[in-house]
Amino acid sequence: MIQNKTAIRLNRILSMLPWVIANRGTSVEEVCERFGYSPSELAKDLDLVFVCGLPGYGPGELMEAYIDGDQVVVDMADYFSKPVRLNPAEALGLLAAGMALGSTDQAPPALERAVEKLAAAVLGDTEDVLAVELAAAPGSLDDLRRAAIDHRVVEFTYTSLGKGETKSRVVEPWSVFSSLGNWYLSGHCRTADAERIFRLDRIRDLVAISEVFEPPADLPVPEVRYTPGEDDIYATLKLGPASRWVAEYYPVEIVSDDEDSLVVRFAASTPAVVARLLIRLGVDAELVEGEEVAIEAERLREAILARYRPSIPV
Amino acid sequence: MRKVIERLLNLLAFLLTTERPVTADEIRATVAGYDQSSDEAFRRMFERDKDLLRQMGIPLERNPTDAWEVEFGYVIPNDAYEMPDPGLTDEERAALWLAAQAVWLGGQPSGPDAVLKLGGSPMPGAGEPLAANLGLAADLLGDLFAAVSTRRTVRFAYRDKARRLDPYGLVHQRGHWYVVGRDHQADDIRSYRVDRATALEFAGEEHAFDRPSGFSVREVLPKAPWEAGQEDLVATVHFDQSVAWYATHQLPGHAEIQEAADGAIEAIMQVANAEAFIGWMIGFEASAEILGPPALRQAMIERVAGSR
Repeated sequence: MIQNKTAIRLNRILSMLPWVIANRGTSVEEVCERFGYSPSELAKDLDLVFVCGLPGYGPGELMEAYIDGDQVVVDMADYFSKPVRLNPAEALGLLAAGMALGSTDQAPPALERAVEKLAAAVLGDTEDVLAVELAAAPGSLDDLRRAAIDHRVVEFTYTSLGKGETKSRVVEPWSVFSSLGNWYLSGHCRTADAERIFRLDRIRDLVAISEVFEPPADLPVPEVRYTPGEDDIYATLKLGPASRWVAEYYPVEIVSDDEDSLVVRFAASTPAVVARLLIRLGVDAELVEGEEVAIEAERLREAILARYRPSIPV
Repeated sequence: MRKVIERLLNLLAFLLTTERPVTADEIRATVAGYDQSSDEAFRRMFERDKDLLRQMGIPLERNPTDAWEVEFGYVIPNDAYEMPDPGLTDEERAALWLAAQAVWLGGQPSGPDAVLKLGGSPMPGAGEPLAANLGLAADLLGDLFAAVSTRRTVRFAYRDKARRLDPYGLVHQRGHWYVVGRDHQADDIRSYRVDRATALEFAGEEHAFDRPSGFSVREVLPKAPWEAGQEDLVATVHFDQSVAWYATHQLPGHAEIQEAADGAIEAIMQVANAEAFIGWMIGFEASAEILGPPALRQAMIERVAGSR
């Protein structure tokens, strides 16, 4: 992924030039659409190319690049007639994206062919060295996705992650997405009158209601990200080396970081989420602050140990 | 920015048409935009430019200018610079574009910039209401992918142990990335979670090993977190009726499941990574129980009792 603005602009120029050279007589409209240019941005980049070329930098050495009527003209630029090779991160990103979508049965057949051709070009042959599989799509995926596309309200039974309670919910579905190994639905929950994210494997008894809703103009980016609310609880955790991954997987604020330990501040809708994690991490994590979590962790620890009690040596 | 891009285009044009390595001094004297007044200003500018080109994936190599290796110069081999044409149709480009928008790596779309190199997309759109997030940033995975595709040995630290691996492939499964390959110490195929590997480095030249013939990363692929490891346990687990439907969703295909009259289930399954398995079991709180083997049950108790 190219981050730097100069690199992004240069990358677009070095991608656009070979295409114009290979497609002589192409139109301004086509180049703009393909490469995401506005006509004035394209004109600026062509002006820039026009003053570059080979040493000497006279009329015989500079590239020709301009707009003639509605045509884009590039000449004297043979050395830029081929696009730049994908770097490994780009190649991996595209192949992984194609394979991920391809594994869902939600992709067009053209995607599979594109991935095959790209893999052959990047890896030299079609060796089976990269595989991307999303979590198996739950039965409700197709129906939910269809409902999201059609803007149809849905109703289902949901077992909440944090509280473990089962409840019927009426939801305006916005998007269905896969993240960290699970499928999720994001949308406006009418039952809670708030934006919510639901895990598909905890949804049962799905029914699409005939009512159509108006989705927000700007859909939020689908991501499993915790949005802090006013009822949130906070806790501070000290993570040992084997637990550092927590900072990558959960939306935490990093308080301090040194070689031995990483201290993070956690926000969650319920203490149970943090308590469960804390117990999962065992001796490699420590609760530094957070009374509700401490109480919940104690309860949970007791509940699990009680179940195993007969075999705990006295 | 305009001046920088003009200078870089001039540099690329020069290096792509010069078939021999050219020294920094020659570049300074020849290429428009580098005629800086001070040595220091030129040096800084040239360093920045080299970094930027390499970041973009442009193969700027530093080679001796002659057989005596007294002086070094820069060269961009045309065949390493140019992308072999994958022969994509516009329909295929559009499909890749949509996938690159919908699938995210490291918190951002996986590569709309890369699609431009392939000729852009004739119909860029916002995509459908379906998306996937593959976790780690492509940059982190890029080095491993380079090692896989050029068959280069890597070394990294994993749970405080130094590892050397001939990486055969990369797998994304159940929300995590794994690198699969021949572990030098174990002299056997192993898989490691990429997000837990640190201090990754190339440890040798390209084409250093061959993959076993017929190797397929899908077949080595661990199916669940507790199947990625070296342990060899057979666990018996009880799930209460309240979580049985949910547990059944997550159990691997090989698990033997017996249903009791009250809706609870008992499952017998392979576990190759006790630590990951216990982590998964804790998610069920007190609604599930490891019945055996005793060592695994004891490890569960110790993990829970030892938490702070």
